[in-house]
Amino acid sequence: MSAEAAAGTARIFFREAIARALAEEMARDPRLLVLGQDVGAFGGSYKEFTGLHARFGDDRVRDMPVAEAGMVGVGVGAAALGHRTLVSITYMDFLMLALDPLVNYAAKARFKTGGRLRVPIVVKTTAGAKGQGVAHSQCIEAWMMGVPGLTVLAPSTPADAYGLLKAALRHDGPVVFIDHKRLFPKSGEVPLADHVLPIGAACVVRAGTDVTVTSHGYMVHIALEAAERLQAEAGISAEVIDLRSLAPLDTGTIAASVARTGAIVTLEEGQLTCGVGSEICFRLGEIMGRMPRAARVGPLAAPVSSNPVLEGECLPDAARLVAAVRKLLE
Amino acid sequence: MIEPIARLRRMVLIRTVEAQLMARRDHGFQLYSTGEEAVAVGLCAALSPTDQLLSSGRAIGPALARGLDPAAVIAELLGKASGVNRGKAGRGHLAQPEAGFLGAHTVVAGNLTLAAGAALACQRAGEGAIVAVIFGDGACGAGALHETMNIAALWRLPLLLVCDNNGLSVSTPVARSMAASPLATLAAPFGMASATIDGMDVERVHTAAAGLIAGIRAGGGPAFLECRSERLTPHSSATRDTRAAPDLAAARARCPIARAAARLAGEGALDAAAFAALEQAVSAEVARGFALADAAPYPDPAEALSDVG
Repeated sequence: MSAEAAAGTARIFFREAIARALAEEMARDPRLLVLGQDVGAFGGSYKEFTGLHARFGDDRVRDMPVAEAGMVGVGVGAAALGHRTLVSITYMDFLMLALDPLVNYAAKARFKTGGRLRVPIVVKTTAGAKGQGVAHSQCIEAWMMGVPGLTVLAPSTPADAYGLLKAALRHDGPVVFIDHKRLFPKSGEVPLADHVLPIGAACVVRAGTDVTVTSHGYMVHIALEAAERLQAEAGISAEVIDLRSLAPLDTGTIAASVARTGAIVTLEEGQLTCGVGSEICFRLGEIMGRMPRAARVGPLAAPVSSNPVLEGECLPDAARLVAAVRKLLE
Repeated sequence: MIEPIARLRRMVLIRTVEAQLMARRDHGFQLYSTGEEAVAVGLCAALSPTDQLLSSGRAIGPALARGLDPAAVIAELLGKASGVNRGKAGRGHLAQPEAGFLGAHTVVAGNLTLAAGAALACQRAGEGAIVAVIFGDGACGAGALHETMNIAALWRLPLLLVCDNNGLSVSTPVARSMAASPLATLAAPFGMASATIDGMDVERVHTAAAGLIAGIRAGGGPAFLECRSERLTPHSSATRDTRAAPDLAAARARCPIARAAARLAGEGALDAAAFAALEQAVSAEVARGFALADAAPYPDPAEALSDVG
């Protein structure tokens, strides 16, 4: 990290990376609006909007009634008339209330109008479990991946949150940007200069030779923890890929890795049925002409309780990933 | 042409396009505006060119009322590449934003929050444009209307909510779907200006819309206009009509076109021969539109993957 710092980075929190990307893009695009619950002077549930209201005012950083369909619908309507908007949906569970304007309209507007309309909207939402129970914990990004026209991004580090949010705010179609409750307290080196990541590019975050592990968002950190344990406990060299972009999915990077390692284990916090891992494994089979050795690791097929014992039992962890990798490679 | 005659002609245009469309079987699923022409035409007569109109899936009337090229609309309805949206929209998704028609959204009540967002864009642009959105009585029971009214009233958005109350959600009468009556009273808790009017009288719709729009342009915030109308066809081209013959006959007796023509005749502005000539001219224009559309190609199948995202 010290070398990176010397090359022009600063260590900041994940929430600060979000706020910085937004502040810079709001300064760059005077039309850009931020809408949502508690995004104003309060600064967001995870302080990820801190400073925006003070700098850009009521007109551009607007608290809204707790009405998610209204929030996204208003954002989509403004975006359709050229006023790029970021809408904050506090928890991804609540995005279910707002799927009509996002899925039925925004994702289809450019297509259905023969290219007359573009809807540059970013729906930023926080996924994942942290003690809040069955309707405040879900990861439904796989639902979004199946909607043609939607871009789905899920960073795991402050640097990627910064670079991907800037990319989302310059994209001319609808984007679902997913962060995670457990990411906000994390810090990391972020470039000091303007830095826009490409959409649709995964990243090999740990090189390895025996197995490929894919993940996104907070689970990337679990994957890295498991990779260290695999090396230490079993001498297994795991390559870890941070997907970063779920739609479009960077199958090229994944397939190249699996061509080297010969096996893949996918890790996600969302449900495994029709999940990110299922999609990756099947696409790999299509690309490679045969199914690679593959396993999926995810939560139990059960709601996520707010009870810490039951939440812990439901969620995937490094131990489960280690066990899945060792079983696959037996 | 004096304005009431121009409005009559626009209503005849909508009726004629739909009649010629109904006479064919090669155009798939349609929701017709026949009977409800006065709502869209009266409203559009009160809009400025830079305003934006959104409609529900019952969009043929609103699109033509807003002044879209009838030939391009007809081509769109027939799925031809020369259509307004290259044949990809059909009736349910017609849009031409640069002509002031942000367009249709087929999910009932789904257009309301979008309209509020469009109104926010107009308010921020500060050029005096407003947004009007047409929706049916069926949308009034949806939460989206109440979310929209609350947000629009809070932010004093330049938004005119136009409820085209044809009295039926497919088969369910409004009295069995809505506890509130008249529907314009829904706007009262939000402090919005509102009115309930006869939506079969194009001049009444025009006057009422113009009055509410003047208030909106003056910064008064959103307003709600309920237009009581009649749908003279079944809900869609694929739906059977559930109304009894006497009820349908009573609805047809309220025809907004016959009413406007009779008024103009009474005023000595348009006699029977002149009205017949107007109908003939429109019929010929529409027939030319269909001929052009028939001669135009369907989209290249590769268009199925274009403009996604």
